[in-house]
Amino acid sequence: MATFLAAVRGRRAPAAVVALIAALAVAPGALSQAALLNVQDAIGLALFACATNLLIGYGGLVSFGQGAFYGIGAYTVALAWMHLNTSFWVTLVAAPLLGAVAALVVGLLALRTRQLYFALLTLAVSQLLYVIVQQQESFTGGADGVFGPMLPSFLLSSGNAYWFTLAVAAGGLLLLWQIARSPFGMTLRAIRENRERAEALGVNVFGHQLLAFTFSGFFCALAGVLSVVWAQSANPNLFSWTESGYPIFMAVLGGQYTFLGPALGALIYEQARDVLLASFSDSQLVFGAVLLAIILAAPDGVAGLLGRGGRLLARRWPARTAGGQRAAAGTAAAAGAGAGDGVRRQDRQDRHDARTGGQQDRADGQEDRVARS
Amino acid sequence: MSHYLITFLSALTEASSLFVAAAGLTLVFGALRIINIAHGSFYAFGAFAATTLVGSAAGGWRFWLALLAVPLAVAVLGGVTEVSVLRRVYGKDHLAQLVATYALFLIFGDITLRLWGSAARSVAVPAVLAGSVTLDGGEFPVYDLFAIGVAACVGLALWALLQRTALGWRIRAAVEDRELLASAGTNVPLLFTTVFVIGTLLAALAGVLAAPLASVAPGLDASIIIAAFIVAVIGGLGSVTGAAIGALIIALFNTAGVLWAPAWEPAFIYLAMIAVLALRPWGLLGRAER
Repeated sequence: MATFLAAVRGRRAPAAVVALIAALAVAPGALSQAALLNVQDAIGLALFACATNLLIGYGGLVSFGQGAFYGIGAYTVALAWMHLNTSFWVTLVAAPLLGAVAALVVGLLALRTRQLYFALLTLAVSQLLYVIVQQQESFTGGADGVFGPMLPSFLLSSGNAYWFTLAVAAGGLLLLWQIARSPFGMTLRAIRENRERAEALGVNVFGHQLLAFTFSGFFCALAGVLSVVWAQSANPNLFSWTESGYPIFMAVLGGQYTFLGPALGALIYEQARDVLLASFSDSQLVFGAVLLAIILAAPDGVAGLLGRGGRLLARRWPARTAGGQRAAAGTAAAAGAGAGDGVRRQDRQDRHDARTGGQQDRADGQEDRVARS
Repeated sequence: MSHYLITFLSALTEASSLFVAAAGLTLVFGALRIINIAHGSFYAFGAFAATTLVGSAAGGWRFWLALLAVPLAVAVLGGVTEVSVLRRVYGKDHLAQLVATYALFLIFGDITLRLWGSAARSVAVPAVLAGSVTLDGGEFPVYDLFAIGVAACVGLALWALLQRTALGWRIRAAVEDRELLASAGTNVPLLFTTVFVIGTLLAALAGVLAAPLASVAPGLDASIIIAAFIVAVIGGLGSVTGAAIGALIIALFNTAGVLWAPAWEPAFIYLAMIAVLALRPWGLLGRAER
């Protein structure tokens, strides 16, 4: 935790991130049990969304099949318990590894295709697992899923389950963040921005994408384990393409171009869904309309809005410029962006252009760089 | 021997509505370069509107009216959708387009539920098409033959449209290079709206055509869009001929699955798609994405 905070502070992330972590830490004392369970679900989904965003936001690879690895994580725990009576602590380690191996195999096949073909092929893989799990009842429990005392008694108390989920998800996010800001992560983004240029520079495009896909599979499966901790069961719906859709919406909602944007999206989505379900009979309609509004009006999500708000504040109150600029820069920097080599600089420039197309924002981007150097 | 003919014709019946739906999807993708998830909603609108117009009691002329009027009405909705929403996402990346059409899919899904409820509905076959014919010693429904015939006509009409008309060569030109087409004086936004309206029309027509073959219930939009995606991807996105081949492959796989391995049948279409893309990453008749 301390390293995480130090890392966040070192990268000048907005105070909001620190506040969020503090809020999550005091939540067990402040919230009702039902509300706490909801937050716990959101934390697990935040890991799922960020793991998926390693592909979408960083790699430019829209996978509609991450539910496959999410489901593999959950079913590793459930099936190992059902057939072999394996301890949860063993499967906690085994599940992400199995997810990574599965992702490696799927990636070898799927990464030969591109763009929409890639999206639809990954979708087909997750749907394939979905129907197989539903059909092979004797082995998988069929459409009802797997129920039973698969969790150790330690995790049956809601407080322990919450802290365990928070710790695992924070650890997972920290590792993911290290991957995203490493030279590997930077190269991945260079490929996203311009595949041909990266290839010409001698980058092994397929190898990088395959590694990213494997990492993502690892953390999606870990999130799947957390879903078992939350639901105390495994359900075939985890594999379905609609489940694969959630982390994508969360990334779009929160902001796919920042590291923690999808996590923010997961928290917002989980809370908003309950409100929607409670207040509207046509909750899908409202959710669809919100999604559409975000795509049309704020393509970089809530995190992008916050970043723009920060820059606006910096302009409005020059006396507080340093702080404001830091907040604005931090939102972008949470993605691990920094003034570095040419590819990275180009990458940020392109992204600014793609996102806003406005001269003003371009100027802001330059301010950010000046502020940080 | 007779069993094989009947089995093959059953597969062809399944392929017919699949082809009509996938042809619309692939046509829209070819020209507009967007994957329209809401295509499934337009299909569902077609099927549900047919249940309202025709009803489950056998009614002669009402079915023919539905077959003509429903696709046209849904096509108008498609045009409105294209102008009001999709025009705003053409310049964005694939993900934004996918999410936008998925948002439309969610919105239309709730509207369908609101209008037609959650109970399963059905459409009666008109008297002329109600019976069955004897083929090689087996019985085969006349309506199924009719569905196959309509699909064949749609295929021919699309071929004629694309290859023999001025609109057709503009659509093909838009697939090649829309900037060049625009600078040559074609109103490209209008062309896109036209293509989208045709695509929506085909989706709704497929919905009406399939309505008497099975029960019409919520979830239809999700199941058909997955099937249509798979068909279009196997054939190669953008290729109408590919959609026909893809529909045939999927229908044959499904029929074979039901016959020989019922427990694994739902898995077959996904296996078919994975196998085809493993061998040809752009589908059978598709071309490589840049």
